[in-house]
Amino acid sequence: MTTPAPAAVDRSLPLRGLRVANFGWVWAGPVVGQTLGFLGAEVFKIESRARIDLLRMLPPFAGGVRDPDRSLSNHAGWAGNGSVTLNLKTPAARDLARRLVAVCDVVVENFGPGAMAALGLDYAELCRVRPDLVMLSMPAAGLNGPLKSVRTYGLSLSSLTGLDSITGYAGGPPVPFENAFADPFNGIMGAFAVLAALAGRERNGSGQHIDFSQQEAVMQLVGPAFMDYFLNGRIAGPRGNRHPLDAAAPHGVFPCAGEDRWISIAVASDAEWLALRAAMGDPPWAAAGELAGLDGRLRNIDSLHAQLAAWTRDCDDRELAARLQQQGIAAAPVLNIGDLLLDPHYRARGTFIEVQHPLGFGETIYGAYVKCSRTEPAVEPGPRMGRDNERVFRGLLGLSEQEYSGLVDARVIW
Amino acid sequence: MTAAALAGLKVIDLGQAVSAPWCARLFADYGADVIKVEPPRTGDVARHWGPFPGDRPDPEKSGLYFFLNTGKRGVTLDVSRAEGRELLGGLVRGADVLIENHLPPRMRDWGLDYATLAQGNPDLVMISITPFGQTGPYRDWHGCDLNAFHLTGASSRYCGRPGEAPLEHGTFAADFCGGAAGAAWGLAAVLGRRFAGGGQQLDVACAEAIAATFSGSQNIGAVALTGAFDRRTGVGMSLRAPATILPCRDGHAWILAIEDAQWQGLVRAMGNPAWTEAEVFRDLYMRAEHADAMYPLLAEWTRAQSKWEIMERCQAEGVPVTAVFTVAEVADHPHLRERGCIVALEHAALGSVRTLGAPFRLQGSAVRPTRAAPLLGEHNAEVYRDWLGLDERELDRLRLTGVV
Repeated sequence: MTTPAPAAVDRSLPLRGLRVANFGWVWAGPVVGQTLGFLGAEVFKIESRARIDLLRMLPPFAGGVRDPDRSLSNHAGWAGNGSVTLNLKTPAARDLARRLVAVCDVVVENFGPGAMAALGLDYAELCRVRPDLVMLSMPAAGLNGPLKSVRTYGLSLSSLTGLDSITGYAGGPPVPFENAFADPFNGIMGAFAVLAALAGRERNGSGQHIDFSQQEAVMQLVGPAFMDYFLNGRIAGPRGNRHPLDAAAPHGVFPCAGEDRWISIAVASDAEWLALRAAMGDPPWAAAGELAGLDGRLRNIDSLHAQLAAWTRDCDDRELAARLQQQGIAAAPVLNIGDLLLDPHYRARGTFIEVQHPLGFGETIYGAYVKCSRTEPAVEPGPRMGRDNERVFRGLLGLSEQEYSGLVDARVIW
Repeated sequence: MTAAALAGLKVIDLGQAVSAPWCARLFADYGADVIKVEPPRTGDVARHWGPFPGDRPDPEKSGLYFFLNTGKRGVTLDVSRAEGRELLGGLVRGADVLIENHLPPRMRDWGLDYATLAQGNPDLVMISITPFGQTGPYRDWHGCDLNAFHLTGASSRYCGRPGEAPLEHGTFAADFCGGAAGAAWGLAAVLGRRFAGGGQQLDVACAEAIAATFSGSQNIGAVALTGAFDRRTGVGMSLRAPATILPCRDGHAWILAIEDAQWQGLVRAMGNPAWTEAEVFRDLYMRAEHADAMYPLLAEWTRAQSKWEIMERCQAEGVPVTAVFTVAEVADHPHLRERGCIVALEHAALGSVRTLGAPFRLQGSAVRPTRAAPLLGEHNAEVYRDWLGLDERELDRLRLTGVV
């Protein structure tokens, strides 16, 4: 690994000294950088005012000022990344990008296949300046194959994986997931891919180019349904909140008192079913012998769920969850977005943190989304555009003051 | 092509069901030596969940278990007994990583906390993946994927029709997200032991991983500032149109054409129908505002077409429209055949089985799996001999007493 960087990233975090040039944009690519950054790597997201990333323009903005450095929807997802501005449309910027890669261990990008080559920044080219480079390319459907150039948005990518085809109410049409669930998942998986390649490099000194198809990574989530197809030729469809393999019943989300309040309840064993019956005060419908075993409960799942819903309907979600938990039943409130900040569990774990943005406003983002017993990252909000320009161009690349300001004026560093 | 990237790394999988076993499988896919430790007789609960060929339950034929445990060697061990825990301690002393997903009260009952396990192995990285995590008021709650997923805000905000139940994905989405987070952070902790000063425990809460990186990401800043937040709408994107799933002659398609150029491409793909010239669909904002009027008109066209024709014509116009693939259409697609991401492995009970291979390609390293999931206790003899030096006689005694 390269020489450790100063203060900001040095808290004996596991990836101390690792340097990453992150060409990734929007969401998946930045989460790769974030994960490596939270773990101690120094990450430079490369972006430009010539083409502002659309995730910087999501409302609302701090103080109501529409500005790429003030999007409150951006600073959580990009935290952990630094920022370097380079207008890659200019040859001088592409040259600086290559010089930056020469002092980095890792390159991350999530453009379509061929985009990096068009910039002269493909793996073969970058290996000339950094022979042991680890490069992660994460296009929608991989670097080769008939679908390699397919155009998707993160939120429709999952339609290529089978995931959308099994999401919806039982027996009904697919219900769209209204944001790109695939993006942060792929970001985390992309970080694992980089680390696996680095483990290989540590042993034999060689870097490599990782072909990461977002389609294939998300297909892993659909594994249980694929196995039913491979073994039985069965094609799964939406099944609501039922257990994916019918190994538990009841298994669902049930209405509670109040507007849009719900509780999730999963009963995995006959003993738990008995406990649930007791918690309900053993109503006659639940005493039917047919319901004593899992097979019978599955055969009657619709009426079982309807009866259970009639019972939960007037209960307070949190109170009921706590009561069922005391009986050893897996139950939890269904939280909405507004509940997240108030939830005692997330508060106790410090899931969401208040930070001060260097432009002078406070904001709330998430911190280390995995807790480590030995190391804790210092999390700052997503970077201002060009936050690390001085450190990179003057410091790491050794440009003179004059060269640097000339490139800023020429909108190369931009 | 050199050796596998994680060759030489030793991993103990003390997991059950989905999250920890899948996390451990990721290590196996890239070459780690992964030992799966299961309770004697019953084995991992996933062995009882199916899907089974012909729906005939058989703990050696569970498709879920197979998918989650390829590339591993399997041993049995009763860790609820002192002698079993001693043997586990021996395995863990020789390991780099221990991955587990038991609810914290159970691990406490067994006395298997990190401090105890790391006594003989200060470099041990322990990845604990549970619905709610090792700390916080819900840490001792009973729970599974369903409870974790619905604790994240993801379903309330993003999946389901208003007034109806919020939805999980129809799979173990929270377990997979927790497994991915455990793999990334766990491998970093292994690589960085010399900087961090040794091993450590990673506390992964499946609910937290999603609440933070997915639901929190684009919502938490706004809700903290204004208190206002959104709920699910049942439509793909509520602030833009068209952006949702629509019915076709042979299934469904994800219709997405929000930028002007995309919209114009879609209009051409539809053959320039007159209704698209209406003033109310003139620009991005007006199309979003009049989505309710647009969707029935669009659906009239989509219903008459094949989803494949729609995808092909739209993609040719540069519009990011995709067919909603069924699992069969994914599995048998030429693209995935050519890329080889679905592999066939030989298994003693199941014969030749197709399964999903490693999720990404390390082009410079060997990638697995090359080995089917283990039968229950299949590798007892070789693992206990090679790792702990037990001979056949000792192993027989342990078998007789039910520890192995």
